[in-house]
Amino acid sequence: MTLTPHTRPLSAEDAAHFLRRTAFGGTDSQIRALTGRAAADATREALAFTAALAPANPFDPATGATTGAMLQLTRARWLYELVYGPHPLREKLVLTWSNHFVIGTDKVRNHPALAGYLATLRQHAATPDFTRLALAVAQTPAMLRYLDNDQNKKGKPNENFSRELLELFTVGLGPYSEADVREGARALSGWTFTGGRGNKNFLEPQAFVFNARQHDTGQKTYLGQRGNLSPEDVVRAAATHPQTALSVSRKLHRAFMADTPDERAVQGSAETWRRTNGNVGAVLTELLSSAEFYASRARIVRSPVEYVVGALRTMGQPALEPKAVLNLMQTAGRMGQVLLQPDTVKGWDGGREWINDSALLLRLQAAAALTLGQSAPTLDRAPSDLALFGSERSAAAAALTSLNARQRTYLALVSPEFQLA
Amino acid sequence: MTNRRDFLKLSALAVAATTGMPGFLARAAAQAGGTKTLVVIQLTGGNDGLNTLVPYSNGAYYAARPTIAVAKKDVLTLTPDLGMHPALRPLMPLWDAGKFAWIENVGYPNPNRSHFASMAIWHTADPTQAQAEGWIGRIAERIGDPFCASNIGATTPQALRAADFSLPSIDGVDRFQLKLPQGLNAPFTALLDAPRSGEAEYLVRATRQMMTNTARVQASVKKYRPGATYPESAFAAQLRDTARLIAAGVGQRVLYVSLGGFDTHAGQRAEQDELLATLAEGLAAFHADLQTQGLADDVIVMGFSEFGRRVAENDSAGTDHGKGSVMFALGQGVKGGVHGSSPDLEDLSEGDVKYKQDFRGVYAGALTRWLQLDARAILNGDFAGPAWVA
Repeated sequence: MTLTPHTRPLSAEDAAHFLRRTAFGGTDSQIRALTGRAAADATREALAFTAALAPANPFDPATGATTGAMLQLTRARWLYELVYGPHPLREKLVLTWSNHFVIGTDKVRNHPALAGYLATLRQHAATPDFTRLALAVAQTPAMLRYLDNDQNKKGKPNENFSRELLELFTVGLGPYSEADVREGARALSGWTFTGGRGNKNFLEPQAFVFNARQHDTGQKTYLGQRGNLSPEDVVRAAATHPQTALSVSRKLHRAFMADTPDERAVQGSAETWRRTNGNVGAVLTELLSSAEFYASRARIVRSPVEYVVGALRTMGQPALEPKAVLNLMQTAGRMGQVLLQPDTVKGWDGGREWINDSALLLRLQAAAALTLGQSAPTLDRAPSDLALFGSERSAAAAALTSLNARQRTYLALVSPEFQLA
Repeated sequence: MTNRRDFLKLSALAVAATTGMPGFLARAAAQAGGTKTLVVIQLTGGNDGLNTLVPYSNGAYYAARPTIAVAKKDVLTLTPDLGMHPALRPLMPLWDAGKFAWIENVGYPNPNRSHFASMAIWHTADPTQAQAEGWIGRIAERIGDPFCASNIGATTPQALRAADFSLPSIDGVDRFQLKLPQGLNAPFTALLDAPRSGEAEYLVRATRQMMTNTARVQASVKKYRPGATYPESAFAAQLRDTARLIAAGVGQRVLYVSLGGFDTHAGQRAEQDELLATLAEGLAAFHADLQTQGLADDVIVMGFSEFGRRVAENDSAGTDHGKGSVMFALGQGVKGGVHGSSPDLEDLSEGDVKYKQDFRGVYAGALTRWLQLDARAILNGDFAGPAWVA
């Protein structure tokens, strides 16, 4: 099934939906500005990224006195970008890719490596060629370290990256053998990095390097190809495998369409993927301006980071003290989403798994801090029902009519309607 | 399956109640009977069984692991052939008392070397990976109480997923309470009462369930005073919360705690040694606490990991993903010793040990002999295992 273009001009509720999915949420005036526009134009504008970052980000990881402080500042710097940056869709994609090409700060404890990894994801966020993104990430010192490819040497293979490249980053479980994993590891030998090793060198630059002396130049067979395969050959073969179109399209549908995607719609995106040779930007353009996208309301449980960023963007990006941003970053972590540190290399599964008793209690606390707490930001205007609930006449909003604006915003933020996108 | 259908009908009623424990739950919990608690310990990442329960008399072990083997002089001797990793010393008193069991060479058919596929198999007790529900979720459906098992930690593992809900995760007992600002109880109730469907309805049910669960926990936990000094680790803190819930009589039959970081592809000794020390120190304190509370007879611990590591070390002084591994159990209700036979390290399958004991047989022991439940219905088949429950 190919996706059907959404042809009606965007209604106010369509516009609110689009912003919830592509910008973590928006204010009433942002919603009104999109209302009446064409879906294709809204998508094109949202995807027109520059390299611009949030101005005056107060967090500089290089000022961290210890590795731990550096990591906290790295996370806070990213959260600040998510809340205040000029390209929320780019950051949503960085969040999505960081949950696909997973690295973790349990092993990657070097500031330039983490900054380089995030810059790579930003640069290729809506890449016209998935293979380029896969190659670029595979060569980041963060990934080389996280999945031990820096230990993968001729005659001493380490299979960690080779296995996850196939299982998690490209084709998915099934269409490859253990022999492919082993042969892939041989071909990937020699990809490593220089600099920044050890806990004391957490600010020292790291750089990708191909160590030819550690590369296994023998014959290998990988996904049906045979020859003196290079690391690039292996990443390219995995990234262009027909099943990769399906498995990565499914990830994009989980990020933008539904926690439980419609498999026929996923197939539609996979067809576009194959037709365009892995043009992620084209797949996203089609997805975000489709009738299926606009018909898919309230089917994604907002992750902890999406929840706090969504609250702040819906409230009009009020200024927060750096301390408050750090607190929110840590709260999102306690809800189960420590930025750059998913529980496992598979990443967060999301959906209903974000919801449990403790996480719900923390959402109540975070919402209270943002609306009722002593340091809650003062807003020029309370968020509208449309911005909070995604519709202008919801039964949930009707239940809150007797309350003042702060109480109303607090309860709206903990409503099921707000917690879904 | 009538039981399950009835339960789902009842759970829909249960979540409709907003305060206190619904009447049917009290009835169902009473019917479930039993005062025994099973604590499941998950070692996430694939714990290396051979460096945990060390075959120190076996030349093939030392030949395969020139760098990372545990030297014979360092092992804590258990039998003429097997010894524990030295970091497990805090557990020696339990072993000496006959209350610590190793279950050798545990696995399942067609082993999967993916962390996630393999963990899902242990969680669902289904090597065909056809089921999404967890084995503990199915216990909850049998017992008819959506609070009869809890995870202690931030995210609920698949083992605790039932057909239509997930069992609770308690991330810190003290934080596990709902405090709405003054005057907002009624509007909050009205907000939840608005008509909904789909995921929004699921969120309402989850919120109502949270309100019931937190009320139930807070009504009980204040009674607890720790009966042992726990070490300073997140894992130990979770075990202390586990002891606290048991001591308070909150009513869970199964509690679930995870310790992660066992994916030791490089530099294994430093990493695994530290993790095993964390494990042993935490469990020793937990058991001591239960003894002080007079609850040691009512609690057993069963530990597993999704797979073991390959027999031969790799060239990064680590080990790659393997197949069979050891399980462990401890408690007054456990029959101590080594159950099952050690793997033959000279007859391997793709470099891995050939498992002999299906893990579902080990689960069956806990279900039948400890929790007094119908293991066949929960595991979807008959599985035999050693008599590790006394």
